[in-house]
Amino acid sequence: MTPGTLQEMTQDSMMTKTDPQVAKSPEVALAVRNLNFYYGENHALHDISMDFQARRVTAMIGPSGCGKSTLLRIFNRMYDLYPGQRATGEVMFDGRNILEHDLDLNILRARVGMVFQKPTPFPMSIYDNIAFGVRLHEKLNKADMDARVQDVLTRVALWNEVRDRLNAPASGLSGGQQQRLCIARSIATRPEVLLLDEPTSALDPISTARIEELLDELKEEFTIAIVTHNMQQAARCADQVAFFYMGRLIEVDSADRMFTNPKQQQTQDYITGRFG
Amino acid sequence: MTLATATPSEEARDKAGASRSGSRRSGPDTAFHFLVAASALLVLVVLGGLVVLMGVGGSQAFRTFGLGFAVHDVWNPVADLYGAWAPLFGTIVSTLIGVAIALPLAFGTAFWLTAMAPPRIAAIVGTAVQLLAAVPSIIFGMWGFFTIVPFMARTVQPFLTHHFKHVPGIKFIIHGAPFGTGLMTAGLVLAVMIAPFMTAVMRDVFAAMPNMLRESAYGLGATRWDVMWKVVVPWSRSGMIGAIVLGMGRALGETMAVTFVIGNVTDVGWSLFAPRSTVASLIALQFPESPAGSLRLSALLALGFILMLLSFASLALARMLRGNTK
Repeated sequence: MTPGTLQEMTQDSMMTKTDPQVAKSPEVALAVRNLNFYYGENHALHDISMDFQARRVTAMIGPSGCGKSTLLRIFNRMYDLYPGQRATGEVMFDGRNILEHDLDLNILRARVGMVFQKPTPFPMSIYDNIAFGVRLHEKLNKADMDARVQDVLTRVALWNEVRDRLNAPASGLSGGQQQRLCIARSIATRPEVLLLDEPTSALDPISTARIEELLDELKEEFTIAIVTHNMQQAARCADQVAFFYMGRLIEVDSADRMFTNPKQQQTQDYITGRFG
Repeated sequence: MTLATATPSEEARDKAGASRSGSRRSGPDTAFHFLVAASALLVLVVLGGLVVLMGVGGSQAFRTFGLGFAVHDVWNPVADLYGAWAPLFGTIVSTLIGVAIALPLAFGTAFWLTAMAPPRIAAIVGTAVQLLAAVPSIIFGMWGFFTIVPFMARTVQPFLTHHFKHVPGIKFIIHGAPFGTGLMTAGLVLAVMIAPFMTAVMRDVFAAMPNMLRESAYGLGATRWDVMWKVVVPWSRSGMIGAIVLGMGRALGETMAVTFVIGNVTDVGWSLFAPRSTVASLIALQFPESPAGSLRLSALLALGFILMLLSFASLALARMLRGNTK
């Protein structure tokens, strides 16, 4: 499919009728169309269609089990690791449907980075944690690799804290530092999209604030999709918010409108804390 | 109870401490405390008793042959001359062969079961592994005797002799008449016996690894190979050392299966295909014919003492390796 037809589809889709601003957006990084997902027999996502705009933060909110993490894990085909899990429909990324079977997953995952609920440092040094992912895709000499490591650690505001102990095990860092290391690790392979699955749920408020600040800077370069349980976080960080319930996309809109004037009663109930 | 008072006095705190060890809840609690402590202490008593029994029993041999007992390669009951080196050599080499073969097998099986196999097949294979671990060693002995020994004698040894007899370095290892018994055969049988144990331990270790860590590595675009070598193996290193030691411990002391297939000749040599003996097989075979109070019986007990030291040493080594990784 060409970008031209992608544009047409965007205009045809239901979402553009309810939200003209999304349609006006010049660049769509991920275009989800009629996406269904199954855990074996369990139909977990129903007919999802929405756009993720390039270099914007899209937050996915909703009660536990609503399918928001499931959607995130489709974008890097993480579900492929598990037999019995499958997706149908379309997720267009750079002119290609990433659900296609012959897609090179290793390349896709280099272009779509992911950060998890808990920090997951690899059992190796701080330096190697960054270099691990880079080495998978690029052959860099020592100087270039050093530069890359310094660059990404600087961008996650970790460089000054770890510059003297790059060869120390990453497990010695604090939780917040580990999570920033994981973000640095993800952007070191120079992805276009960054997926964050409740990245601050295991962190204290100060570490959380630092990660949120970081997101603001990172979105200048990356398309960010973040799953969060924290409504304030979604309001603070996101440009666009999508509300999911029982495997369905209930509403997607700009963060401002979503939190001040949602169109759906269910959204209203959820963001005001009446359920969930 | 001390929480109720804002600043408990020294005395009150002492009382609180004392109540933990039984005085507060007397009766059944004290009895329970005594019982569990006694069963724990019993471990020490048994272990100490074993060491003393072996040491005292073997003291006659140690006195007669000195520390050289451990390194002399003569075991001659006719001349009443005994040295431990030949059976020790057999034990160590057959164990190393067994572990070397079992390790990749166990690792591969465990990794496949935890990371790649479809759940239903993983359940079937996993159960089969447990069943294999439960097979009595005498069964492996008979299987080795009727299957592996003839296979080695008729197929493996002639093949190796034919192709490698002139290759320097290898010809020493395969030298010898094709009996089919020997260190290699024993090592193979040991490998099949200990692999299930090692698989079970490694499988638990791999299963304990957080899914998120695995997914993080895949999420960066790593292949299964990268994930296995660079993330799973380093993460589970101490657990894998535990698995190796468990396997080694079983292989070191394995008696029946080895006795069936090793040939029971107290020689030392390079060939992995010549009949040898191990400490455990030698003790099992010669114990019934060694009269009480004889130097021969003392030499066998001394062998047992050395075997215990060997097991302790492998455990200590494991502790050391494990300590280095953390």
